[in-house]
Amino acid sequence: MILDILSNIVLVIGLFFVFLAMLGLARLPDVYNRLHATTKIGTLGAFGVMLSILLKVGFSAMGVKALTVALFILVTSPVAAHMISRAAHRHGVGLCKESVIDEYGKACDAACPVPKEDTIQE
Amino acid sequence: MKRYFAYSAILALVWCFVHGTVSINNFIVGLIIAPFVIRPFKTLYPFNLDFSFSNAVKKIPAQIKYLYVLVVEIIKANIMVAKIVLQPKIDIKPGIIAVPIDSKTDIGITAIANTITLTPGTLTIDVSEDRQVLYVHAIDATDPEGVAQSIKDDLEKYTMEAFE
Amino acid sequence: MSSMLLEYSLIFMVISFIPCLYRVIKGPTIPDRVVALDAMTTIIVVMLGIYSYDQESVFFMDVALVLAIISFVGTVTISKYLDEGVVF
Repeated sequence: MILDILSNIVLVIGLFFVFLAMLGLARLPDVYNRLHATTKIGTLGAFGVMLSILLKVGFSAMGVKALTVALFILVTSPVAAHMISRAAHRHGVGLCKESVIDEYGKACDAACPVPKEDTIQE
Repeated sequence: MKRYFAYSAILALVWCFVHGTVSINNFIVGLIIAPFVIRPFKTLYPFNLDFSFSNAVKKIPAQIKYLYVLVVEIIKANIMVAKIVLQPKIDIKPGIIAVPIDSKTDIGITAIANTITLTPGTLTIDVSEDRQVLYVHAIDATDPEGVAQSIKDDLEKYTMEAFE
Repeated sequence: MSSMLLEYSLIFMVISFIPCLYRVIKGPTIPDRVVALDAMTTIIVVMLGIYSYDQESVFFMDVALVLAIISFVGTVTISKYLDEGVVF
């Protein structure tokens, strides 16, 4: 009984965090800030939903698979975020106009002083 | 041979989890199949490292402590980003800053980079050619030295204990 | 009560598709669209997990696991293609 209520609470928290991640994806100003939203909040949301399924069914086949999905998302989503952000920076996507510092761009320019294409800004 | 056995054990555990039933029969089936999977993709596994079981066992307490720190940091990060997303008017000062690191091995650098991505307000973008500097995108980049100092003090201590 | 909660959670997840679709259609650059598609697969994985519990069938969880793996590999592949112009 207590386990049931606990799993329902975890489920609602997880769903709310997934919704917040998508809201952040729509609201924040450039690619890097959107990655902050989807990587951190989306990961915890999916983890919470899978954890609630594990609490509901125990360590049966479905519960173990839910735990596997949760751990897999937790391990791979930072790697995917790193790959997308690096590709975006090398592709020429500029930072948003509120940004205050860009040391990676300076280091790239120092390493290969090729005139870049026009950076795309929102 | 010892390394083949270690990687086979890891892959057999993964096979148990994917199959859905964790039992000794399933583990033995995975252990038999695993060398045939490892052999064609031998270049992906670090076979040139020194590997010993006693070292791997000795690191387990540090790894449990690291997991505890990671969970606390993930929850803090979520509350922080949720606050930013729910503000009526988004007011942030992002930027990319360079953070020097002390980790030397591949596993150590991977661990610190993934940990930085999951913790409050920071996202790893790239590592420099000489593996000394990580480039980190921070949501609040008005104080670059403070961010670098907090990464070194709060996170890198634990990952270096756990994975190097 | 529990099955009502599951139904409403599925509806709530469908509502969270709307910001993603907005970002996929409008997104000014290609990386924006890749991020949005990655987030959409996260939502679908969550929906498949809930649906699997609702139908008491373990096969949907297999689909969720495979979809998570394919999403990761696809994101890395598109990123490498954007970065270097070749995949391998």
